[in-house]
Amino acid sequence: MGNKRMMRFEILRGCAAIFIAIAVAFIFILICADDPLNALYCLLVRPVFNNGALNISSIYMILARMTPIIFTGLAVCVMFSANQFNLAGEGTVMAGGFVAGLVGIYVPLAAGLHPVVCILVGAAVGGALMLIPAWAKVKLNASEMVCSLMLNYVILYVVMHFLSNVFADRSQGSVQTYPYLETARVGKLIAGTELTWGFLVAIAATVLVAFFMFRTRWGYAIRMIGINESFSKYSGMKVGGIIVVSQVIGGVLSGMGGAIEVLGRYNAFLWKDLPGYGWTGITVAILAKNNPIAIPFAALFISYLNRGCELMSIYAGVPAEMIDIIQAVIFLFFAAEQFMAKTRQKMVVKEAKEELAKKTEPAAEGGNA
Amino acid sequence: MLEQILSMVFTTSFGYSIIRITSPILFAALAAVVAEKAGVTNIGLEGIMMISALFGVLFAYWTSYWWVGVIGAMVVGVILALIIGIFALKLKTDIILAGIAINLVGSGGTIFLLYLFTGLKGNTASLTTPSMLTPKLNIPILESIPVIGPIFSGHSILTYVAFLLVFLVWVLLYKTALGLQIRAVGENSHAADSVGVSVLKIQYIALGISGALSGLGGAYMSMYYSQSWNTGIVAGRGFIALAAQAMGQGEPLGSMFASLLFGFASALGNKMEGMQGFSSFLVAAVPYAVTIIGLVLYASTQVRRVKKSRFMEKGKKEAEKS
Repeated sequence: MGNKRMMRFEILRGCAAIFIAIAVAFIFILICADDPLNALYCLLVRPVFNNGALNISSIYMILARMTPIIFTGLAVCVMFSANQFNLAGEGTVMAGGFVAGLVGIYVPLAAGLHPVVCILVGAAVGGALMLIPAWAKVKLNASEMVCSLMLNYVILYVVMHFLSNVFADRSQGSVQTYPYLETARVGKLIAGTELTWGFLVAIAATVLVAFFMFRTRWGYAIRMIGINESFSKYSGMKVGGIIVVSQVIGGVLSGMGGAIEVLGRYNAFLWKDLPGYGWTGITVAILAKNNPIAIPFAALFISYLNRGCELMSIYAGVPAEMIDIIQAVIFLFFAAEQFMAKTRQKMVVKEAKEELAKKTEPAAEGGNA
Repeated sequence: MLEQILSMVFTTSFGYSIIRITSPILFAALAAVVAEKAGVTNIGLEGIMMISALFGVLFAYWTSYWWVGVIGAMVVGVILALIIGIFALKLKTDIILAGIAINLVGSGGTIFLLYLFTGLKGNTASLTTPSMLTPKLNIPILESIPVIGPIFSGHSILTYVAFLLVFLVWVLLYKTALGLQIRAVGENSHAADSVGVSVLKIQYIALGISGALSGLGGAYMSMYYSQSWNTGIVAGRGFIALAAQAMGQGEPLGSMFASLLFGFASALGNKMEGMQGFSSFLVAAVPYAVTIIGLVLYASTQVRRVKKSRFMEKGKKEAEKS
């Protein structure tokens, strides 16, 4: 099938998946909301329009919430491209954020430099932690999936230990650190909103990762390993090393995302559970079909839905956790290669027939002359 | 300090709590064993346990019979596993992604489902009545034996089912025609296909069995262990079960020992939590860290074994040449 048609089919299929998810959501809304139409309005329209006017504050919020999931989405994108199901994005976000926060509290630095150092430290921590599952996979062939899942819990509890027993600010009602130094905060892009410079960093990271994946030897090697590991090995690539690099890049990206989120959105570190950005990053990467360029759009979509669910829970009494079910449905259909395979088949047949007709036409004309 | 720990470990109550903690992981580990034998990785165990734990409580609440809850949890487990199967086998979603989707529903969607069915938010503690919990079983003769009695008697009926299932799963895999087919499909699906085994059917069946087993694990959690359902109830046990399966070389008995190892680490953690100088958070991290270490150690022995056998083959060949 031609590229253009393939693209059209992919878009059609994506829309169908989203439509099914919205339909499922609608059924649930019908069951549990008192006013289903209002709930649907909250979910789909209210994030951007309210009472006929643009809902500016909500739009900024959607953009702000995109930042961490762009990072985790990119991280998953790089890691899964090498065909490694590394699920430690969740833990590395938390670890990166926590250590960056500590640097933001205890290491006084100049205003412009401080957040940069914090974020780099967070990224380094994320990358270093990712070495564990990567090394275990490459050297020992231990399942990176199981290893990374366990790692998430180890990170969670170790961070919780340091947060509540070592670095806790006892004067606060809840468990949190001392506030960050003012110099360490990631500056607001627009005053009075949640939107910070981190958003632009995330977009820049997208461009960089896209460049890395499609225009460098390493990126090519990572994608090649993902497509056919044995082929890569026999064609002389150092498969192990490249896999480790891909996982470390994933860790760096998610650590960075955690650091930016922690220093941009809050004034002290107060996460008491894994933040969930790692898992959302997987959804984002699936929606983007592991294409870095598409990651921000997928993140926008998820962020929009998230905001919609939030508004729905406030104004229509439908629990915000419905987002997880919607996400799961979209996720399943998007990742399903054979979903709508019959339609694809029909499109292929149609195109083949058209091409045949084109080829035979000039021949027939020639015969007449 | 060490004496203190040792004196705690050598008590019957410690042995009792190992078995108590191991049971749910054992259910899920057996589920992982069956699925993996058929060549399908069921990473959705975590989510299946969460959802079936919730429905176990709900069914028991609606009917006020605990056994209806247990069966309900199993049925829900089977349905979820088959959903994974339909997406993975028919629609060709990567099976790991299909599992993650179920886990997504398990972590957040369950809160929504709970609200949908009962209007409750976050937990079912207010629903629990004694008739909903699975009963404890005191085993007549065993009970009165010193040391062994207090450790092995008086567990939930599901605990005995779990350990019995280790044997039953072994019988299923190695002594029945279905088991042979499951193993054949997992070993080499093309070969199995060529001798007329329906690969898809067998994989669906294996997934269904794994769903039922993890459903039992879920029921154990909400209808015995925690006495009600809450959002953090499974806490990675489904994932740990995957690790136990890997450490146990994919065999029922080996996975049981791996599960017991985790149960031991976890029970030790619980005991140490009360002691001074131990952070409850660090203690909570122990079982997961032990799992990583166990996995790495196991994998490294495998690597060494492969190297050794290669070395020996080489030696043989050279011997043949000369």
